[in-house]
Amino acid sequence: MAADAAAGEEAAAGGTPEAESPAAQATATTEAPAPVDERRQPWLEALQAELGEALVGHEIAGGDVWVRVDSRAWRRAVVACRDRLGCDYFCFLSGLDWKADVDLAAEKVWDPEAQPSAPAAGANGGYRTGVAGGDTRFQVFARLFSTSAKVGITLKADLDEEDPRVESIVSLYRGAEWHEREAWEMLGFTFDGHPGLRHIYLPGEFEGHPLRKDFPLLSRDVKPWPGLVDVEAMPGEPEGGGDAEGADAEGAGAEGGEG
Amino acid sequence: MGLVESGHMPKPLTQLLNTARKYSLWIYQWGLACCGLELGAAIGSPRYDIMRLGVIPFPSGARQADLVVIAGTVTDKMSPPIRRLYEQMPDPKYVISMGSCSNCGGPYWDSYSVTKGVDQIIPVDVYVPGCPPRPEALLEGIVLLQQRIQQEDMASRWRGDPIVVGA
Amino acid sequence: MAVVTEFQKAAYVAGQAADARVNVEIEAEGMTLNIGPQHPATHGTLRIVVRLDGEQVVWAEPVCGYMHRGYEKLTEVRTYPQVTTLVNRIDWLGSFANEVPFILAAEKLMDVEAPPRAQWIRTALFELGRLANITLFLGDMGVQLGALTPVFYAFRDREHVLNLIEAATGGRFHPNYDRIGGLKEDLPKGWVTEVKSAMSRIRTFCDEMEDLLVGNEIFETRTRGIGLVPAAVGLEYGLSGANIRASGVDWDIRRDEDSPLAWKHCDWKVWTHPDGDCFARYWVRLQEVREATKIVEQLLDGLPSGPIQAKVPRIIKVPAGEAWVHTDNPLGEMGYYVVSKGGLGPFRTKIRTPSFSNISILPWLLRGVYVPDVITILASLYFILGDIDR
Repeated sequence: MAADAAAGEEAAAGGTPEAESPAAQATATTEAPAPVDERRQPWLEALQAELGEALVGHEIAGGDVWVRVDSRAWRRAVVACRDRLGCDYFCFLSGLDWKADVDLAAEKVWDPEAQPSAPAAGANGGYRTGVAGGDTRFQVFARLFSTSAKVGITLKADLDEEDPRVESIVSLYRGAEWHEREAWEMLGFTFDGHPGLRHIYLPGEFEGHPLRKDFPLLSRDVKPWPGLVDVEAMPGEPEGGGDAEGADAEGAGAEGGEG
Repeated sequence: MGLVESGHMPKPLTQLLNTARKYSLWIYQWGLACCGLELGAAIGSPRYDIMRLGVIPFPSGARQADLVVIAGTVTDKMSPPIRRLYEQMPDPKYVISMGSCSNCGGPYWDSYSVTKGVDQIIPVDVYVPGCPPRPEALLEGIVLLQQRIQQEDMASRWRGDPIVVGA
Repeated sequence: MAVVTEFQKAAYVAGQAADARVNVEIEAEGMTLNIGPQHPATHGTLRIVVRLDGEQVVWAEPVCGYMHRGYEKLTEVRTYPQVTTLVNRIDWLGSFANEVPFILAAEKLMDVEAPPRAQWIRTALFELGRLANITLFLGDMGVQLGALTPVFYAFRDREHVLNLIEAATGGRFHPNYDRIGGLKEDLPKGWVTEVKSAMSRIRTFCDEMEDLLVGNEIFETRTRGIGLVPAAVGLEYGLSGANIRASGVDWDIRRDEDSPLAWKHCDWKVWTHPDGDCFARYWVRLQEVREATKIVEQLLDGLPSGPIQAKVPRIIKVPAGEAWVHTDNPLGEMGYYVVSKGGLGPFRTKIRTPSFSNISILPWLLRGVYVPDVITILASLYFILGDIDR
């Protein structure tokens, strides 16, 4: 059944770093001697050789590999994945907005540790970013997969906040056309060379980009989030413990007036 | 101008016509989302068998239908076609709103693209709550609607509060 | 009722003419035919605009978005346990299969693993979701080609699977049964024996479908050689699941990836078909249903005992990080790219739905086919609107 995959994972988990330790040591971002993923490490090295300086961040963890490239090398990175690594399957393309969201975070009243919406400041604009890093507000990411090697890779690129713009990859993977239209509509990214960026989901007169963090959900402005009861204490007890099932009926009744 | 339009129908004749109408409801299926499959089960499954209630599924178009079941989420993009097809139906026409989404928006109450209730676009006669409602709930809604049709006066069509199944 | 004036009559006629113009538009170089958004031949509200030359399609453009409900935005304002309620409704026929990858992604970020019994039950319900989904396809394909009988068989036998799902989870359609670290509750008493009899019913159903459709001359004529998808093109467009296996690509995430779910403990086969036409897609799905019944039976035979819930905090907070988990859902590869910042809810969830990519091939695939084949191709690609539009 899953013999290949299991063997690969076991080897990775068991830790056989001597197999390719010189290269691994030279390229690993994390200083800890993490076990080397034998199937993904060669991919990363191939990309490093191909892209050179344009590869600005990478991480291999949990059976997955992330590579962050310069946005000017976006198309080059996809070409490298397709031609050098044999990625024949286009999985998805999307993007994300690292901005800590002002309105929605304030509405998450049930979250005592919500991130204060810090104003953009500092080297990376005050954005707390995820694996493989990120310097600007917007990030485009795509996932490609090789059905022969059964390994996938996630590519990322930082985009400019004022004018998020990146080269289109439709000519490389035809399936990217709809995904890029979606990213254009949802996040406002522009893809240079796309055959026709137009609305795919929303009606033509729709204004704004819903997946941007500053896009408000108007219904939530009118009415507070009723999911508050989820983290309410049980009626009888001070706090914590108990099961969540019983909290619904009592909690909803008790909190009705307050909300 | 016939008897019906004149508004002077003898009561027994009204009863007779109403009985005929309630057992020959052509139901236009709006299988929009998940509820559409429960509607499909009510129509297509031998277990529920909607036709035994005198409800006839699959008319060729909205122009032949008496009853429309809005089964599923109504989005802002979908609203104009729904309105248009509703206007194409000949009077007297009835609307069943099936499922939380078309009743009030349901789990998508805060979404940016979902219409919060189909009753913002067209008048609704029966609300069937549930997410999705079981086919039995839809059948009950239809039976309640048929009872109302039986009581209807041809001249002034009954315009009261809508039915809410299970309430 | 008021008397109808001449003006109203004229307005009515004008309205009818306007409606007619929208649906059929005669143009200089051909005819533009609009199918949908509400059309019996498209299950759900997919709209397809095709330009015809005689009876041949020269250009086709699917218009989606009539069922766009904004899942990706809504997950950002829900807590992790609440997200499963939403994502259940993406592919509404095989609902449980939608929850699993999301929960697995959250577990991966939290570094929690559900106990073996929970994983086995998850896998069994995952496959029951597949049965509930694909049995309907097997019947519905007949309806699209003009055979009304199979869909009644499908609805009849699908009820058995839905009853099982309802008995175990409480919901016919949307189980919402999966929890981070385990399951909502254990299986009810006597469920396992019920499943056994239902699985043999489903296998009988498969045989009936084979008798009714697969050997049927009309069915074969209308599906063989229609809608050919070469493997390379299919992969480029992101086709997955049975659609790409019908083009000869031997790739099944259940088998090829190391997942905490229990497929690796079962003996089953991934079927492929070299042809890549509508018939191949039907045939592969038919075999997939048979294999799924085998998987369910084997899982329930070897169901381990023990707890069904790992220890997780009552208020679930997921540590910061990013995780990508995908599974081979009834419709194809479904994946969740979850970005967490350590809060109660996901910071960003990219939902990779199979139908969206499966349908994106249509402009390429429909070029040059005849109008009746449009419906065959649509039916054989098998999409769920919620899965396209999210």
